[in-house]
Amino acid sequence: MTTATSATRSSRFKSSGGSKRRRPFNWRRAGAWVLVILAVAVSVLPFYWVLRTSLSSNSALASNASNLLPADFNLGAYKRVFGLQTAQEAMAEGGSGAKIDFWIYLRNTVLFAGITTAGAVFFSAMAAYAFSRLRWRGRNAVFSLFLATMMVPPIFTALPNFLLIKNLGLLNTLLGMVLPYLFMTPFAIFFLRQFFLNMSREVEEAAMLDGARHLRIFFQIVLPNAAAPIATLALLTFIGQWNEYFWPLLVGNQENVRVLTVGLGVFKSQSPQGAPDWSGLMAATLVSALPVLLLFIAFGKKIVNSIGFSGIK
Amino acid sequence: MKATGTTAASTKATGRKAAGAIAAAAAAVLALSACGSGGGASAEEAKGEISYWLWDANQLPAYQQCADDFHKANPDITVKITQRGWDDYWSTLTNGFVAGTAPDVFTDHLAKYPEFAKTGQLLALDDAVANDHVDVAQYNKGLADLWVGEDGKRYGLPKDWDTISLFYNKKLAADAGVSEDQMKSLSWNPQDGGTYEKAIAHLTVDKNGKRGDEPGFDKTKVAVYGLGLTGSGSGQGQTEWSYLTGTTGWTHTDKNPWGTHFNYDDPKFQDSIAWFAGLADKGYMPKLETTVGASMADTFAAGKSVINANGSWMIGQYTGYKGVDVGIAPTPTGPDGKRSSMFNGLADSVWAGTKKPAAAVKFAEYLGSAACQDVVASKAVVFPAIKTSSDKAEAAFKAKGVDVTPFTQQVKEDTTFLFPIADKAAKVDGIMKPAMDAVVSGKQPASSLSQANDQVNSLFNK
Repeated sequence: MTTATSATRSSRFKSSGGSKRRRPFNWRRAGAWVLVILAVAVSVLPFYWVLRTSLSSNSALASNASNLLPADFNLGAYKRVFGLQTAQEAMAEGGSGAKIDFWIYLRNTVLFAGITTAGAVFFSAMAAYAFSRLRWRGRNAVFSLFLATMMVPPIFTALPNFLLIKNLGLLNTLLGMVLPYLFMTPFAIFFLRQFFLNMSREVEEAAMLDGARHLRIFFQIVLPNAAAPIATLALLTFIGQWNEYFWPLLVGNQENVRVLTVGLGVFKSQSPQGAPDWSGLMAATLVSALPVLLLFIAFGKKIVNSIGFSGIK
Repeated sequence: MKATGTTAASTKATGRKAAGAIAAAAAAVLALSACGSGGGASAEEAKGEISYWLWDANQLPAYQQCADDFHKANPDITVKITQRGWDDYWSTLTNGFVAGTAPDVFTDHLAKYPEFAKTGQLLALDDAVANDHVDVAQYNKGLADLWVGEDGKRYGLPKDWDTISLFYNKKLAADAGVSEDQMKSLSWNPQDGGTYEKAIAHLTVDKNGKRGDEPGFDKTKVAVYGLGLTGSGSGQGQTEWSYLTGTTGWTHTDKNPWGTHFNYDDPKFQDSIAWFAGLADKGYMPKLETTVGASMADTFAAGKSVINANGSWMIGQYTGYKGVDVGIAPTPTGPDGKRSSMFNGLADSVWAGTKKPAAAVKFAEYLGSAACQDVVASKAVVFPAIKTSSDKAEAAFKAKGVDVTPFTQQVKEDTTFLFPIADKAAKVDGIMKPAMDAVVSGKQPASSLSQANDQVNSLFNK
């Protein structure tokens, strides 16, 4: 088979002449392209559908279910999201009297995701440093224990954490929401430890000879060298926290600390059996996903590079 | 307003259920500490900020106006309203009981309040009703009594009521040659389904354009269903089948409220359910599994079903669709020659743990007064509990071009029966939901409900 194929290939090259070099049609390549195009279409279509729904009038949506274009095009849903529409106007467009305090929820989400990311990444980096660069008794045992905690589903710790936060009097406060995530996550430590392990010891040793101590080595040598994986970790943590639902639902239920995911959940479900205000919901979802999407566009390449660099493939 | 919570199961559902479970578990602990925290309200002055929760976003503007009017009349009291959807409402509420962050006043449901009352979460309103001369006779018949607990104390003041009717697609019905008069005079029986089944069959169309009652109808490829389906209805069947079983003389429990013996083993009930489940088997109604995560109302608007039995709280939803001409017909008459509808009512309750009981009670009373209920009536979203306000709502609906007589005539003709109130509602639901799901999806015969009934009744023998 192989010889036959190569023979036809070479004969085709000859017949096409030297001046115009055209690639021969390759079924495999074409198949791959079709697959890629299909995969892109399948992943982009839901986003398009979100956009299409958000630009439709809610009351016209159901009767135009199969139309690819927005049903009864209007921007009312976005006005609802940004609080530019009264309840009466919203209801006239098939929305509901429910409102999303978008800017408050956005502020809370940014604070929640930002603070937990900063805290978790910083403290995890310190822990990872201890686990990879320092030698101390029981280090591997403690690390194994850390890894083992990755296997505990978060739902198991939800109740004790909730009671603890309640007893501390921190329910419905930003502090109560960020505390369980603030210090470290086993994944972050594992991720950074892998990177730190691969760093050369020589620079560190030289610094030690010059009299630098661990704190200085950590801040002046290790951290700057680990900028790429730290950025990756920060981005992954930030996206994870941005999408976090369960804990903020339990602890941050009041409107002044409510985050976007919880806000959208509340907005979605209204009276039993009542259909949600889909266009409003989709507009809000799109707007709330936008910051993360932009972050991803800006830093996506960095993530891929640093994942390759740190050896986690 | 529906008790069974058969709304769309989202991916978050597991998380929410877990939240509910956690809250419920901890509620038991709290119940001990919360006992006796309310009640001593009389000496306290009515002022400060209080919180009020409700789940129906469509009613939010009406209640916001009530809160504003109340503040105007009582400048010392400010009311902060929070709307939370039905899916989250109850888990967040029980969570709030535990955490001490529950609202001072909240919209309460008949299926939920017995357990809240039993665990000491609700403030009894008897003293306030007596002192402030609240006239419980002003409410529609039976509504106020529903909120008197098993211990004889009053735990809520009625705010609205709802009944069931048939929403139907006028165009599709006309295309099939089913007139409005025919829609309004349907009859039903559990043996052959009567003219109700005939209409449903005729309104069903397969992908080849054959109707359900024509030879060659392909039940595996249905384009338009005669009857829509929300779910199996669990143990109450409020919008699914209770308007049918109610015409056979069957009742959910031995007495209502506070029944301790359920009747799911009664042949009258099982025959009705067997007929109901048979509709899906004949291809006249969607299969149960296709209703998960879907909205029956949206499916209706998309022209995929012609008749939808649903509650009066859905009037706005059904009549709000653009390009769909919606008719409302009363539920069919049954073997007893009458119509039947479950009569459900919501009320506002005061949390026992409120720090401002005097202000909270005052607001709950205001919500139960004609002043607030007339405002609710004027917005034409639900029927207020007070008779006079209820009439105003009917007029407001009429002004919007919606004839709601099919809902109100059940009350006027006294063909309603009260929502079954019993203790251990959550446990009963835990048994009946899977049992009814199995029957309506055709996996089990209706006779299997006898076993579920034994389980339910054994809850009350302990």
